[in-house]
Amino acid sequence: MAYILQQLLQKSAARYPEKLAVWARGSSLSYRELEQRSNQLAHLLQERGVRKGDRVGIYFPKCVESVVAMLGIVKAGGVYVPLDPQAPVDRIGYIIGNCGIRVLITREDKRRGLDSATLESLAFTVLIDEAPKSLNGGAVVPWRMLGEYPAESAPQVVLTETDLAYILYTSGSTGRPKGVMLTHQNALTFVEWCADIFKITSDDRLSNHAPLHFDLSVFDVYNALEAGASLYMVTEDLALFPAKLASFIEAQGITIWYSVPSALTLLLLHATLSAEKLNRLRIVLFAGEVFPMKYLQQLAQLLPHVDLFNLYGPTETNVCTYYKVERERLGSMDKLPIGIACENTEVFAVNDQNEIVTEAGGTGELYVRGPSVTHGYWADAEKTKKMVLPNTFQPNFEEKMYRTGDLVQLAEDGNYYFLGRRDSMIKSRGYRIELGEIESALLSHASVKEAVAIAIPDEIVGSRIKAVVSFHDGVTLTAPELQQYCGTRIPRYMIPEAIVFRGQLPKTSTGKVDRVQLAQESMQPAATLVAP
Amino acid sequence: MSATEQTPATQSTLKDQIREFIQVQLAEPKGITTFTDEESLMETGVIDSLGIFRLVSFLEEEMRVRVSDEEINAETLKSVNTIEELVIRKRK
Repeated sequence: MAYILQQLLQKSAARYPEKLAVWARGSSLSYRELEQRSNQLAHLLQERGVRKGDRVGIYFPKCVESVVAMLGIVKAGGVYVPLDPQAPVDRIGYIIGNCGIRVLITREDKRRGLDSATLESLAFTVLIDEAPKSLNGGAVVPWRMLGEYPAESAPQVVLTETDLAYILYTSGSTGRPKGVMLTHQNALTFVEWCADIFKITSDDRLSNHAPLHFDLSVFDVYNALEAGASLYMVTEDLALFPAKLASFIEAQGITIWYSVPSALTLLLLHATLSAEKLNRLRIVLFAGEVFPMKYLQQLAQLLPHVDLFNLYGPTETNVCTYYKVERERLGSMDKLPIGIACENTEVFAVNDQNEIVTEAGGTGELYVRGPSVTHGYWADAEKTKKMVLPNTFQPNFEEKMYRTGDLVQLAEDGNYYFLGRRDSMIKSRGYRIELGEIESALLSHASVKEAVAIAIPDEIVGSRIKAVVSFHDGVTLTAPELQQYCGTRIPRYMIPEAIVFRGQLPKTSTGKVDRVQLAQESMQPAATLVAP
Repeated sequence: MSATEQTPATQSTLKDQIREFIQVQLAEPKGITTFTDEESLMETGVIDSLGIFRLVSFLEEEMRVRVSDEEINAETLKSVNTIEELVIRKRK
């Protein structure tokens, strides 16, 4: 049995060397090629000083080299950190500094975009494209150097399942992203459950719609490797065009699709999906946000031959519950359950009296325990202590449990239903967004006095973000100016699409900004919001 | 209503209109202020999955061209230049 991720590839490469392992943008790698190139990359990294536990960043738009990088890094004993290629360089610089990345695998245009302090902090970078003739700062290794390293086996590194495999950064309420640390065991617990329940075989073709810094991609990449199946990466030239995307699913014969619901909704609304054309598709998984019932019902009708699953789980637990859509009940349901716990995972709701909810109808905050749960956040003991707690419901030995911050209800049939958040985290297109992080970005501008970010529910993307801002006396900015400023601090999906300016923000009786009033005003159709 | 209905637009004003729409409606709300006419609007993140449909509505309603599903792709909608080419081609 595999206990570290690279063994999944090793096994499939031995069994299906000539089979297509990964396809992206018209290029592909066979299992043999993927195994050999990742071995070579591991040797290169190790020779140049990467040691067990070292963080290595992956910073380029996804392509077949992304998978080589992920596997090469773990084979060298390293911990990979996928960095959003579209994020502001300030945020990338923060992450590189936060988890002490000293080696970056990137593309020349992305490398050049980084600030000089970040570049100087790196020991070296590996470029997936050719190195330019003149370079500023730092050693650069071109991808073709891989050819000079042994391909047949990976370097010797002693790893156990409790070693870190990767760190995924998500939005943090205090204004900076936080790095969720995941071990090989965290990932494999989920991958093995998926392999079993979805009965994935080497005949399957998996899509990879989610970006690699998003935990949905863990399923795509590692379950494909686990089964010796083929992975088809959906890049932006496909993802943005529903009609093209539908033809891609059909032409590549995708059998298992996994994405956020909004991607499926856009396919439904702007492409022609037919069961006849998508006859190879057998499973559609979705996660990351609530799927509007109306569209799920349409999808279920259009694709009667496909099994639909709602997966639920914060990055800290990967996926912890699932619900297989019951078509016969779908018409009478007004809300989709998040379901029951995955195998080798326990979930329970804890009510305000700090008791586990056992009765149907009871509500509480969802807690998760088991081998899929993270050890916490990189270099943030305080935040870790708040979210990954000693399991006081089990007194026999020390153990951790994760509090999700999600309020749930236990239904009669044993399924849990998501009710809402305890805090101000929201979802938009499946991305976790802390409204506090947006507010911090706005407030960091010297002219801004007060700022509140508001989530407006949206049928397709989950939430749209608006902001209400007041300025210090004597200064004003336009919405585009403030949006541009935000663009240097937070990713695009977090930037408020509309910003309203007020002389001052309404206050509650205790003198705090009245968020409830602002949110209510913003929900009204003819609200005082001005488009940027 | 678009001014292009009364007076046939010269190619430069057509490009200006396209650029302005993208600038104001798609780029600025994402904090992006500069992009060139050649640059890929998808790679830079100016156009996202919902932006595509706002762009297509703009082309159909303001530019008065009918865009088919097949034409909504990464080649025709790549940059300001390719979008202008699409409009010119459709108006012929």
